[in-house]
Amino acid sequence: MRRIAYYKGCLAGLSARELDVSTRALAPKLGLELVELESVTCCGAGDIQMADPDYALHLNARILAEAEHAGSGTILTVCNVCTLNLRQAAWQLGNDEQLRSRVNENLERSGARPYSGGVEVTHLLWLIARGEGLERLKEIAVRKLDGLRVAPFYGCQLLRPSKLMGFEDPDRPTSLETVIEACGGEPVDYPAKTRCCGFPILLAREQTSLAELARPLEQALEAGAEAMVTSCPLCHLSLDAWQKSLERTLGRKLGLPIFHLSQLLALAAGLEPARLEFSRHAVSLGPVLARLESPLEGGR
Amino acid sequence: MQVRLHVQRSDPVTGETRLQLFELELPREATLLDCLEQIKDEVDGTLAFRRSCREGICGSCAVRIDGRTALACRTPVAELVAEGHAPTIAPIGNLPVVRDLVVEMEPMWQKMRAVEPFLRPGPDCGLDGRETPIPSARLDAVRKESLCINCGACVSECDAMTVSPEFLGPHALVKAWRLVGDPRDDAVAPRLKGLSGEHGIWECTRCYLCNERCPKGVDPRDAIAKLGAEAIAARIDRDRGARHAKWFVTSARTTGWLRESELVVRTLGLAFSFAKIPLALRLFRRGKAPLPLPRHRARDLAPARELRHIVAGQDRRGALGIVQGERALERIDFICSPEQPVGEDEP
Ligand code: SF4
Ligand code: SF4
Repeated sequence: MRRIAYYKGCLAGLSARELDVSTRALAPKLGLELVELESVTCCGAGDIQMADPDYALHLNARILAEAEHAGSGTILTVCNVCTLNLRQAAWQLGNDEQLRSRVNENLERSGARPYSGGVEVTHLLWLIARGEGLERLKEIAVRKLDGLRVAPFYGCQLLRPSKLMGFEDPDRPTSLETVIEACGGEPVDYPAKTRCCGFPILLAREQTSLAELARPLEQALEAGAEAMVTSCPLCHLSLDAWQKSLERTLGRKLGLPIFHLSQLLALAAGLEPARLEFSRHAVSLGPVLARLESPLEGGR
Repeated sequence: MQVRLHVQRSDPVTGETRLQLFELELPREATLLDCLEQIKDEVDGTLAFRRSCREGICGSCAVRIDGRTALACRTPVAELVAEGHAPTIAPIGNLPVVRDLVVEMEPMWQKMRAVEPFLRPGPDCGLDGRETPIPSARLDAVRKESLCINCGACVSECDAMTVSPEFLGPHALVKAWRLVGDPRDDAVAPRLKGLSGEHGIWECTRCYLCNERCPKGVDPRDAIAKLGAEAIAARIDRDRGARHAKWFVTSARTTGWLRESELVVRTLGLAFSFAKIPLALRLFRRGKAPLPLPRHRARDLAPARELRHIVAGQDRRGALGIVQGERALERIDFICSPEQPVGEDEP
């Protein structure tokens, strides 16, 4: 078992609770012991980074310091936005001693722990899309997805800015496709998979946001997707919870079910769908699950 | 070196657009611009493209190469044609095509004019003929933005502009920050008010494509964040986007985590929120809209509250909170190679 600090972020504790639940259910299968960071806060979501950027840096420094204290050199996230914000702060604090010592002084004054630098921030997808993680995934993916046509949706902030993220080519990523294939699904290709879902301005500029949301959903359906998988709970909220609102704007039915990455993996690892809280999704996964359930005994 | 390229040709008279394949012979160190010039000189003189300086200064030759926007003069062609690949060269996006690889830049200039890209000097700004001494730390705030060469690579793929063409966009907002962040400018508040309109700062969807494509490391998205930070610091914060951002701060210092269920009301205001009730009910039934109480609270909240208090009393308010991190970020360009994952120890 590899002990790893787990930062679940805001949404997985709130409206995307199913993401947290399925990540926890999945972790032992992947050989991970999740050490949940509790004395931490929101990463700022890019919003505190605008409303009060200095405060945002301190909040992220605190999260990194807690991971360090938990004895883990790596923080695991399940959210694109958390990953970017934490990596940005980790890089800034790790490469600017003056900045780090100022932030640390403030942290200590506030009663929080200081951060000494060097914590690596990673996303669940990165952990399983290559090397040992991928080998492990192939071993545990016992319930093959039976050629389910799944559209990978990367969104933005796990790919860009690539100088901070750096896991793969931001324009031709392959990690989600690799994972879908390892689970026995068939990845569906479409141009908008690396584009924006519109989430950050969903409330502030709804029209613009929904126009962005339409592209991945329509293109994926056009390309024959039966479901979509995303590495980000914010994208998920747009793609799933707002899909009905988009249908009304477009005047057409979409009905594309959206998996969280952890759910797709957990399903392939043979975990009971009931444990993965699919009932919390706005767009039903019923038909997809039924298609996967039925011939299971037939021994595919 | 053998080079095969598909070039998108558009004829403004017939309105026809097609891909044309060219096969060329060039030295290994050739750039994409060299290829285009060879085509024009030796193969087909009707090919239209822009270029001037040939060394990444004039900002004329941005094109899309297999979809990614880059300066032709700074793109070595050997990598593009590795393993016999024949890349597709197309004009930049989000601007109307005039002919072949030439686009109409006027919509971009219009937006630039809209942000009044010239200094409005204040009273102590050297109008008496003497120079205005400015501490170099103050200039750091606009140093990156001063590097912009108006190439339009950021505009080309801006996700918000693609769906909302009126959005001011990354290039104009970079100019705007160049002036808002300039200590000599005397029109900061009116500028920020003007930039907080329907198609201003808060319409950026944070796709980071502008940062990814900019050939000069300007990082337009970061400039937009700086504008937002200054607007909020100056209490020009009535826009829904600003209210949305501020609610995260309130959430962090009161419960640690986002107070998600109140976010809609805080962003849209009570009256507009009624329109969202059917959506909320639908989501509530799914457990997707958590009730405001009991609140989802972080453990050990005191430091989060205290930190906010501490930083408020220090001199890194507004955009300076972003600028302070740039020195470290710049090191990425010099230290990191693709093989070395970001965040690991330096060599
Ligand atoms: S981050 Fe904002 S300005 Fe930059 S390309 Fe995306 S939407 Fe446009
Ligand atoms: S910000 Fe960068 S990409 Fe945009 S116009 Fe300026 S130099 Fe070009």
